[in-house]
Amino acid sequence: MNATAVPDEEFGPTDSSSPEQAMRHETMESFRYDDKITRQFATATLVWGLVAFLVGIYVALQLVLPQLTFGLEYLTFGRLRPLHTNAAIFAFAGNAIFAAIYYSTQRLCKARMWSDLLSQLHFWGWQLVIVCAAITLPLGITQSKEYAELEWPIDLLIAVVWVGFFGVNFFMTLIKRRERHLYVALWFYIATIVTVALLHVFNNLVVPVGLFKSYPIYAGVQDAFMQWWYGHNAVAFFLTTPFLGLMYYFLPKAADRPVFSYKLSILHFWSLVFIYIWAGPHHLHYTALPEWATSLGVVFSIMLWMPSWGGMINGLLTLRGAWNKVTEDPVLKFFVVGITFYGMSTFEGPMLSIKAVNALSHYTDWTIAHVHSGALGWNGFMTFGMLYWLMPRIFQTPLYSKKLAEWHFWIGTMGILLYILPIYVAGITQGLMWFGLKETGQLMYPDFVETTQILMPFYWMRVLAGILYLSGGVMMSINFYRTWMNRPKVYEEPVYQAPALSKNYVDDPTPQSELTAVLEIGKKIDVWSKMAWHRRWERMPIYFTFWVIVAVVAASLFEIIPTFLIRSNVPTISTVEPYTPLELAGRDIYVAEGCYNCHSQMIRPMISETKRYGEYSKPGEFVYDHPFQWGSRRIGPDLAREGNKQSHFWHLVHLRDPEALVKGSIMPSFAALEKQDLNFRTIPDRVKAASYLGAPYPEDTLENSIAIAKLQAAEIAKAIVAQNGPEGLQDKQVIAVIAYLQRLGIDIYKTPATVALEEEKTAETIEATEEQK
Amino acid sequence: MSEELLTPNADNELTGHNYDGIQEYDNPLPGWWKMLFIGSIVYGVLYMVYYHNGQVDRSMLVEYQQAVAANLRLQFSEIGELNPDRETLLTYMDDVKWSAVGESVFITHCVSCHGSNGEGKIGPNLTDDKWKNVKTIEDIAKVVSEGAGNNAMPAWKTRLHPNELVLVSAYVASLRGTNPGAAKSPITGEKPIPPWDESQN
Repeated sequence: MNATAVPDEEFGPTDSSSPEQAMRHETMESFRYDDKITRQFATATLVWGLVAFLVGIYVALQLVLPQLTFGLEYLTFGRLRPLHTNAAIFAFAGNAIFAAIYYSTQRLCKARMWSDLLSQLHFWGWQLVIVCAAITLPLGITQSKEYAELEWPIDLLIAVVWVGFFGVNFFMTLIKRRERHLYVALWFYIATIVTVALLHVFNNLVVPVGLFKSYPIYAGVQDAFMQWWYGHNAVAFFLTTPFLGLMYYFLPKAADRPVFSYKLSILHFWSLVFIYIWAGPHHLHYTALPEWATSLGVVFSIMLWMPSWGGMINGLLTLRGAWNKVTEDPVLKFFVVGITFYGMSTFEGPMLSIKAVNALSHYTDWTIAHVHSGALGWNGFMTFGMLYWLMPRIFQTPLYSKKLAEWHFWIGTMGILLYILPIYVAGITQGLMWFGLKETGQLMYPDFVETTQILMPFYWMRVLAGILYLSGGVMMSINFYRTWMNRPKVYEEPVYQAPALSKNYVDDPTPQSELTAVLEIGKKIDVWSKMAWHRRWERMPIYFTFWVIVAVVAASLFEIIPTFLIRSNVPTISTVEPYTPLELAGRDIYVAEGCYNCHSQMIRPMISETKRYGEYSKPGEFVYDHPFQWGSRRIGPDLAREGNKQSHFWHLVHLRDPEALVKGSIMPSFAALEKQDLNFRTIPDRVKAASYLGAPYPEDTLENSIAIAKLQAAEIAKAIVAQNGPEGLQDKQVIAVIAYLQRLGIDIYKTPATVALEEEKTAETIEATEEQK
Repeated sequence: MSEELLTPNADNELTGHNYDGIQEYDNPLPGWWKMLFIGSIVYGVLYMVYYHNGQVDRSMLVEYQQAVAANLRLQFSEIGELNPDRETLLTYMDDVKWSAVGESVFITHCVSCHGSNGEGKIGPNLTDDKWKNVKTIEDIAKVVSEGAGNNAMPAWKTRLHPNELVLVSAYVASLRGTNPGAAKSPITGEKPIPPWDESQN
């Protein structure tokens, strides 16, 4: 491509691409495309992209310089890491796919978007969602489910924007289209819209506890299962399928080459859509999730390898005969590297899903490197390539500087490599150190902090890499801005013409089998494999969508129903009891602070884990956990059995100044918890919600939750004083957090007798408090 | 890259589709792609049959239990089951090989309160002669096992193997009299206790 404006010269106003329509001399309809919406989404992509990269660099810096939070609770890693992931996924990649979809869908359908109003509502609604996220996450308002952190009011807004504005607008455009058959890009968009809606709704079913807090209806094992069904498929249907759709439109356009194989498009689309859904449990290997489910996660991930690579080969082989263009065109350079990273991370994904590999990689930076090869390489570079291709077209003027785009490409590529290579090394290093056992069978690196300290040089390299990648983004912004400055006074809006779809369309005749000397069934398979049936589906968007829904729902239900219905998946442990009111309040603070971003609560059944953390975690221990807090990365040690492992006073000092007790710790200070009052008045709502979700609290606890919480707080505060700690902490948040931490993982060591004793004690204290009244 | 990938002429015909100028070849699926896809499905079936056939238990928990057994043999087949008594503790206090096991347990669980050399942080200094709740060497094992000071010192009996408990207690005993830098000052109010090998209950 040269960098001149080429506003859709590919088919002119008089084009009618299918001969059967031309023959019938149907009346032509005139229409214009809405490129304003593409300009809006493209601009938002760029702006939020810069924000996502910046926050990424900031949180990366915090891992080497933990004091960079400046003691402000709004800036801790636990609160900002979700901001980074949400900004990268939903703000940067989200706006990018909307730009792609709005630009290409209109042209592939030969129709303007059905409603300009809905397009605008979608755009502004989505930006509102992002702004809400940027405000609530630093405030600690979070559901703590990765990539689904936003609280329920924002979730409702997302659902309305996605389904009501975006979905309706898109499907109505399909229905009102003037192109008979749907091109493969549109299949991927369809799969994206219906599946993301489904995932979003079912992962976010919650019981609200006020406007800014909710408990998911699922607990423990089931919550973990639903979360990673969502989390895995958010990667699939938010970061993969729409980008494949983007690739299928913008790559052949930019290369001016036909797509390599229509048959491959069909096969890899359907296999991808069907198989992806199953693979979620591979995020939970060796956890308390039932093993049959994780095994399904393994085998479907392996099966997913070729369907993923189908997209890669269809992309790269489309460039056959056009490789000379790649050397000259930054757009194609971005696409080639982007697709290559897609190929690498979709090979790595199945590899990481093999249990033996996952045992090493899970909880380490290996996962972080893996997702960044996908996010920076595939999502980032496909977006950049698309934007450079779009700029001259949406601004109707040549690109400001091709040279700057070339620089962006090279500096961005270096940024990616400098990010992932050290972080792979970091992940494997830490994984091996955790595994390491001496000849005598003891841990080789028993002090956890030793395994984080060794990563510091790699973390510094990551900061540098982030700066490189951001510099690329800044170069692109300059290019974008200067190109926009050169725009015409008034944008041209060419009028196109195409006939409406006639009702009496006749499909091409079904091809006959050319096979001879085979059984009838062989001939049938031969005819089926010629895919004429699929060609018919492609002219029926609703029917096509129906089968997409069947594919994703059927696969989901095959795993979800057994997970919820088979009792043996979560064997009951009789001594596991609900959290006390104070512990519940403390747990909600733990959730709000985003502790799960660095601390897992899931000890895997491996010698090296149980030696370090204690007995491995059992499914029955999490039945009152709404939401589950298993985590996915151990920047700090696992906390599943933290209860009674340290004194109250130790926790107090450690939360205030982690380095005072653990030299070299990179945990930020949580001194604010010691100053802020615990809002006891919200406790009854929390307890009632937990009770509604199945925690068997006695009537007394429900009625006197505040008094019970205050009593426990006073006990802990007293113990801290007895351990030479400060006085007057009984109404501070830190007490609730300590109460929760001291409860973690201790119930399985109780005997039924001690439980009865405790209950008696609680009853006595209630009586005592009632007497006080 | 092979010749085939580079030549544009090796294609089948175009399908005749045209979407906004985008055309598609009617190329067949690459053979290697098809074979690997089928192979991965076969692998999936075999995997499920091998691990979830309902006959032989090949679960991760079985694997774990075997690993635990092997680890215990590796660690303790030589010394058998240890009792937290005076004789045993005094013996292992000076045993270089088994002291290393105690040290490993100590670094895993104890250093965040007692310091990496037992010099004391939030927990007391373990290198001097003034001890809380401990008069004899057996008391160390008791405190490690049961905890003390209303959980200021947590109880470890549910978390450690009995042998680990003995060995870490012996290791702690061996710290006494060492001179770590920056040691916490001795506990005030307590009297110095006699050396381990002299004290008797």
